Amino acid sequence: MQYLSEIIITSKQPFRTTTTSQTLQGCELQALSTTSVADALKYFAGVQIKDYGGLGGLKTINVRSLGAQHVGIYLDGIRITNAQNGTVDLGKFSLSTMDRVSLYNANKLDKCQSASEYASGATVYLRTRRPTKDSLSVQLRRASFTTWMAKANAQFERNGWSGFIDAEWTDSRGDYPFRYHSEYEDTVGRRSNSDIRYGRIEGVLFKGGFSSHIYYYDSERGCPGGIVRRLSDKYVNVGREWNRDFFIQASYQKQFMECHQVKLNAKYTNEHLRYCTDYPENHNTARVNNHYLQQDGYGALCYAFTPWPWLSLSASYDVRYSKLEADLKKFDDVFRLDQKQVMAVQTNWHGLQAAASLLHQHYHDVTFAHVGAAAPLDRWTPAISAAYTLKGLTLRAWYKKIFRAPTLNDLYYTQAGNRNLKPEYTKQLNLGIEYHFDSPHWNASLQADVYQNKIENRIVCLPLKGTYTWSMMNYGYTFCQGLNATAQGRYHTNDWQLSLLTSLTWQHDVNRTDPDDEDTYDKPICYSPTLSSGVTAIIGWRNLQLSTSYLYVGERMWSYADPEDVLKPYHNIDTKLTYSHNIGKTQWGICLEVCDLLDEQYEHIPRYPMPGRNYKLTLSLGL
Amino acid sequence: MKKLILLLLCAIACNIQAQERIILLNEGNWQADNGKISYFEDGGIVSNQWFRDVNKRKLGDTPNDIIQISNNLIAISVNWSNIIQFISPDGKSMAETEDVPNNRKLATDGRYVYVTSYGHECGTVNGYVTFTKGYVAKIDIQTFKVVATCEVGYEPEGIAYYKGHLFIANTGGYAFQEDHEYETTVSIINAETMQLVKDIDTEQINLYGKLSQSGQYLCINSPGDYYDIPAATVIFDCEKALDGDDDCFVVLEYASTYSCTMLDGNFLAIGARFTYYTNEYKFNYLVINPGEVMATDGGGGIDESLPGTMLADLQALGMPYGVYVNPYTGYIYATDAGSFAAAGALIQWSPEGVLLGRHKVYINPAHFLALPPNGDFTKIVPIVGNNRQTGDIYDLRGVRLNTPPIGKPYIQGGKKMIRY
Repeated sequence: MQYLSEIIITSKQPFRTTTTSQTLQGCELQALSTTSVADALKYFAGVQIKDYGGLGGLKTINVRSLGAQHVGIYLDGIRITNAQNGTVDLGKFSLSTMDRVSLYNANKLDKCQSASEYASGATVYLRTRRPTKDSLSVQLRRASFTTWMAKANAQFERNGWSGFIDAEWTDSRGDYPFRYHSEYEDTVGRRSNSDIRYGRIEGVLFKGGFSSHIYYYDSERGCPGGIVRRLSDKYVNVGREWNRDFFIQASYQKQFMECHQVKLNAKYTNEHLRYCTDYPENHNTARVNNHYLQQDGYGALCYAFTPWPWLSLSASYDVRYSKLEADLKKFDDVFRLDQKQVMAVQTNWHGLQAAASLLHQHYHDVTFAHVGAAAPLDRWTPAISAAYTLKGLTLRAWYKKIFRAPTLNDLYYTQAGNRNLKPEYTKQLNLGIEYHFDSPHWNASLQADVYQNKIENRIVCLPLKGTYTWSMMNYGYTFCQGLNATAQGRYHTNDWQLSLLTSLTWQHDVNRTDPDDEDTYDKPICYSPTLSSGVTAIIGWRNLQLSTSYLYVGERMWSYADPEDVLKPYHNIDTKLTYSHNIGKTQWGICLEVCDLLDEQYEHIPRYPMPGRNYKLTLSLGL
Repeated sequence: MKKLILLLLCAIACNIQAQERIILLNEGNWQADNGKISYFEDGGIVSNQWFRDVNKRKLGDTPNDIIQISNNLIAISVNWSNIIQFISPDGKSMAETEDVPNNRKLATDGRYVYVTSYGHECGTVNGYVTFTKGYVAKIDIQTFKVVATCEVGYEPEGIAYYKGHLFIANTGGYAFQEDHEYETTVSIINAETMQLVKDIDTEQINLYGKLSQSGQYLCINSPGDYYDIPAATVIFDCEKALDGDDDCFVVLEYASTYSCTMLDGNFLAIGARFTYYTNEYKFNYLVINPGEVMATDGGGGIDESLPGTMLADLQALGMPYGVYVNPYTGYIYATDAGSFAAAGALIQWSPEGVLLGRHKVYINPAHFLALPPNGDFTKIVPIVGNNRQTGDIYDLRGVRLNTPPIGKPYIQGGKKMIRY
């Protein structure tokens, strides 16, 4: 496959630099040794990744310690939702169909943007690649832990229409070795019940302002538990999970009379989840067999008015209707109507840019469940940003207040849900500086932001006093101060392509929940590292490309109970070597990847080991 | 001079012999393999990772119960590790078995250990045995092997040994996930033959949590279903049950989520009645006189005042997670799980309810065992320092009575009396 070299879009969109953003795109995105979107995002400053390990483990990201449910994931401008639990498993989305992955810490600030794009604490935009020629490509991969992958992509471009069909099938036993070595144990083993197989097929169709996407994903995976003391391997976790996700979405955008812009979005999602431990060989734990079906219909109407080139006004309305069915006891269907309206203004006057938006959200639930529905939720939240640019140097400041509504699980899940929950609020304040330098062969950018976040009324699951049960509760207040910095440099000639991308996160986030609790008050938030950094170097020479990524994540505590309850810092080096060769009209490629080159044993969650060093060999053929 | 030496010797002897020796199990977090033992001696914590210190290895995931079997043997059920860990009173690992997976609570007659299990299989001397519901396993402490089993209800929980019989409270606690209903029964098993004698239907569902035993009486918690059926406490008379008396239990409209037996034979019970419909819960802190409860059919025998400052102290806890009275000394303990991510606390009161201290332990401190002050488990140790001289009247089993019985011996002010 061939990619166009970098396209700098920044200069075309005058309203983009008032908030903080980071982007990976084109060949740099494809050069990373990554399989899923989550792996690419971990190189962004301010991002923490949570991963239960292995190929099948749930992968979620957390931006500036806001929590995974405050991160909105948008595919071509339409949010990927999960009304049930509010988190999106990024492992389900392939990077190979993406052209660009961006993280916006506040709002993206396009002129014409849907209301739901204003409704999360941090936003991740995935932009699907638009084909520019006809081609057919296939890939075959063999990787460690008995992993096989096959992928095919057929794309076309004709008369302004373009599209592709992309299909992937993966099967992995995922039985990677791990070792726990400490003063009190020397545990070696192989991860069991950690297999995954999935098929994904998706198709896209574009023409001008029209884009559409259809997606189907079907998987079965084992759910391995934490590694705990056992006398033998006799008892293993038997839980298995099946996902069947389908969505279809379309978006149409049209500009008329130079100053009016209209956008329409529509989406239907159908997600089926089954979790089962009900097997004859399960003699020891609860035998569960639960099915969940979520359906989601979504529509958005956006209108932007640009009376003068320096001013843009917009208004948008979003409506989402969700239905959750589950065969849990004491549970019944839940319906949620979620409506959002936003009014936004943006201006750009001789390098001085400003944007302000006011978002209104209204949630209304209906359920037949005997516990009854939560009271409707109705809130207004603002965001403002300002920036000044002079000769490539931009100074910016922004503030955003937003909440996440309790999810349907938070409110109604059997023996946990609490319909009296309040929304979880975040307030973010940011000051930043950005510098760009461009020349014919060189380009460089520097970016640094200092920020302060407050999170109020965290929604957490806690045991109830004096009973043996757990319930969702609003408990917790987090105060976070941090610095995100990125520095990027690129050099290219006809034969050579060099990129160096670096990021740094320093963060001080503390628990401000209970001033009387000296063990926890003003102590760091669990799982949050103070320091993390990433360096990615890409060297391309003609048809040969070598990329190496280094990621450092500092020490994280995971409980306040014992100074020993910490996750050790880890260094992760991934490297990828690609060579392609043209024979006639065909392009052959071979790619070798080594992940975790140093074979460091590390964890994101205590007792859920991550795989150590592993290899991937991929062959590809393009027509 | 002689006197002085004698006093000095006595003082040394007293120093060597700790009076308060408490082993406390910290459950840790589920699937985090951080179950830990705290060891408390007299005024302070000796270690919050006692098992690790002594054995240089970890205890496992979610220790769930601890009992002393004999002078030199203690059993711990480590639930999610599927291990029953045997240790000596100085913390040394003696043996362990994984033959009873999903093990819950323990009882003993001094020769065998009886353990309840939510699981459906058990490794025995006669090979693997499977069960539809839950079971009780009988472990020989000479071989640490399961010598017999008996199937009971779904998810059997609390277990007590009384007069050659085992009394098992069945929960059916997986009912909210599995395809069966909550259990309401107490199963009675002949401990020698491991045959089910009978099931007593208490009409209360989900008999969950550690039960407390005071002689012939049991205090069993029923948390209800957290929706329509509120929590209750079942006071159960083992003697009457063995006699075939149908009126062998009384249901009280209180929760006894955490309970223990006090030195005077009463139960100390704390808990909350909770429903997900309103997310409201109602706390209770009780002293239950089981004899009186049985005699009055629940009309009396409940005292909502606790000794000393205990009530206020308990109410101030972030998250009460266990109560215990040292059966040798009468000192009272409770644990506070606090915010669950931070270290919990062990709180100590004198028998009179005077707050003595609060000690930092580990995550989810829950299950206690007091070691005998003189190291002799088999002998009844005289109570030292308990100067409560009240006019209360007790029968010979230590059960408080309202009025002195006629023609039967009773105890008042520490003296045996009889009235004709």
